[in-house]
Amino acid sequence: MNSTWFLYMFFTAVLLFTGIYCLLTMRNLIKLFIGIGVIGKAVSLALIATGLAKKSVLAAQSLVITYIVVEVCMVAVALALIINIYRKTKSLDIRQLAKLKG
Amino acid sequence: MIFLFIALPLVVAGVLPLLGKVSKRVLPDALANAVLLFLLVESVLLGKQLAATGPFVQQFSWLGEPVNLRLALDGFSLLMLFAVSLVGLCVGIFSIDYMEHYGSKANYWALFLIMVAGMNGLVLSTDLFNVYLFLEVAAVASYALVAFGLESDELEAAFKYLMLSVVASAFIVIAIAVIFGVTGSLSFPAVARGLQDLDTKYVVGFCAALFIMGFGLKAALMPFHAWLPDAHPSAPAPISAMLSGLLIKVSGVYALTRIFFNIFGLTPALSAVLMYLATLSMVAAAFLALGQKDIKRMLAYSSISQVGTIVLGLALGTPLGIAGGLFHLINHALAKGLLFLNSGSIQQATGTRNLDEMGGLAKRMPVTAATNLVGSLSIAGVPPLNGFWSKLIIIIALVQAGHMGFAVVAVLASVLTLWYYLLIQRKAFFGKLNERWKDVKEAPFWMLASNVILALLCIGIGIFFSLTIKTWVRPAADALSQGVRLAFDSWGM
Amino acid sequence: MVLQILLLVGLVLFSVLAVLLKDLLRAAISLAVASLLLGIIFFRMNAPYAGVFEISVVAGLITVLFMLTIALTKGGETAESKAASFAFPAFFVLFIVIDAIIMKKLIQKVPALPGPEEAGTTFGQVLWNARTLDLVGQIAVIFAGVFAVLALFRKGDNKDE
Repeated sequence: MNSTWFLYMFFTAVLLFTGIYCLLTMRNLIKLFIGIGVIGKAVSLALIATGLAKKSVLAAQSLVITYIVVEVCMVAVALALIINIYRKTKSLDIRQLAKLKG
Repeated sequence: MIFLFIALPLVVAGVLPLLGKVSKRVLPDALANAVLLFLLVESVLLGKQLAATGPFVQQFSWLGEPVNLRLALDGFSLLMLFAVSLVGLCVGIFSIDYMEHYGSKANYWALFLIMVAGMNGLVLSTDLFNVYLFLEVAAVASYALVAFGLESDELEAAFKYLMLSVVASAFIVIAIAVIFGVTGSLSFPAVARGLQDLDTKYVVGFCAALFIMGFGLKAALMPFHAWLPDAHPSAPAPISAMLSGLLIKVSGVYALTRIFFNIFGLTPALSAVLMYLATLSMVAAAFLALGQKDIKRMLAYSSISQVGTIVLGLALGTPLGIAGGLFHLINHALAKGLLFLNSGSIQQATGTRNLDEMGGLAKRMPVTAATNLVGSLSIAGVPPLNGFWSKLIIIIALVQAGHMGFAVVAVLASVLTLWYYLLIQRKAFFGKLNERWKDVKEAPFWMLASNVILALLCIGIGIFFSLTIKTWVRPAADALSQGVRLAFDSWGM
Repeated sequence: MVLQILLLVGLVLFSVLAVLLKDLLRAAISLAVASLLLGIIFFRMNAPYAGVFEISVVAGLITVLFMLTIALTKGGETAESKAASFAFPAFFVLFIVIDAIIMKKLIQKVPALPGPEEAGTTFGQVLWNARTLDLVGQIAVIFAGVFAVLALFRKGDNKDE
């Protein structure tokens, strides 16, 4: 595997770290969605970088397109959940949702 | 035509909301359950075909050109298809009555069928990325189904489930990308061959770690279980049954086992890691279940514990261990499905899930109490019910392989399991009838019917356990024991 | 190559901004710019279809969905933990250092087989012939998403049949 692949994987790891950090520390539900978007970018980059390294960019592109379609559907469901949570509880704070612990 | 397992539920799901405008209740109910019944019959017929020919691959052509729609069926896939259609049908029958007051039933059935299609697709695919894709299909449907009632705690539980699931999916796709990078392909035979040819210990180790984190979260293996105790109790009872009984096993245990056995090849290191994680799940979740007041939360922790038992049997790697793990998988799917459906009956009749508030319900709801007893004893492993045999096989396999410590822990966990299930029985059903419940009625017809069917299955499989093992479990265990050779021979390109 | 590295750094920068910014609208726009940069990176990696999809769907559609949600949930602003934002640069730099060291050590250590032969095939052929089951899966997940949104936004219908 040539060093270009490692370069891209380096950036993938950094983006993953940023996304997971966002999910761990942020409180606003919509901010947590931004974390998910960042993770999605990391994964797309990893897929295309691998495709480039193997000279099979076409296959990698179809994988990324499928992944992006899945991501859109997931974001739609998630945002539907957020809007409903807001309507029920008038709050977007994840700490308010912690009452399910037990 | 094994493609029907994916295509039929999808097509019917697409059509259902339109039909739902015409007939809000009867037609969607009948159509969805007819599809599930058809899939069940089809899986039994396929079982006969499989016994005759051995594992096979079907390739489809579209308008004359062969398209890459390759679906593979072997014993393990067939066992999962059978479990999905069987439990799915019983849960479907239950939902006819239970989902009445939720509204929008056509939509519910559509999402339900999409979840079934996703699980079937996962089980039949021969390509790593397809496994991920169908996993997501089932997951997206399940997020909406968990939140279906639109109550505050359902929405919150669905949101947490979604959050954790996304991280798991990301890990899985990155592992898939690395495997693609190393072997240049995504299909099972090519990847298996590639990993054999190259010296890839560290890469396999890294990808295995990512897969354990990703699929382990889907299977609610400790320490990746945090979403389950919130998601399963809050979901509507039939969805809790589907999730606990099927989804965590198909998207978690099946995917993990398939990849580790037939593609990577089970190494002693992998086996050890999985066995330790499984034992952690088995014991810690059993202790956590003891302190619960909410009946569904107790059942949720019990699911985590039983998944630990299943993975312990599978990770052992010996043919007996694999057989025990697979047998327990199907037993738990039936029994846990039954128990969650029962909790739905209780919740609908009394309006509460708090064990301290119930009491003496056996007098007013005798059928529910009886089926609950069967389900509880089955999971706790009391003879002659089915759970006893599967747990016994796992413990014997552990002893035979020399893992005395694990065997002792497994027995202790079984005792704990029996204790908290008897606690449910005592608090909810037996004892003095709580004044509040003196007017509750037994559950409606369809709910009772599905409970009785599942209970009879538990008893029947317990009595005829050797027949069940011979027809269903043995082919599946053989498929897994062949390890990487299965990828070369049966799915060969 | 240098331009590519600059674009990648820009991608990371805007993603970090999206995470750390307090105003949700600005965070969403920052994420959209990051998607734009990623799309350009894809174009330069000879992956035009992925680039187009990334820009139109992620930078376009998802950003619109975000804005819609932000508009529909006005009044739900929460104060983020200041400690998290302050601690971030430290963890970030630490991670970058560890990451760079690991990546450098791994170069040449990962064996690889050649990928599938792609000379002479078009993207359409790959998508329709080689990865057909993906299309079935995409249809399924789109159904799931559509029905999920319909189910989650339903009005209570009380009188049936």
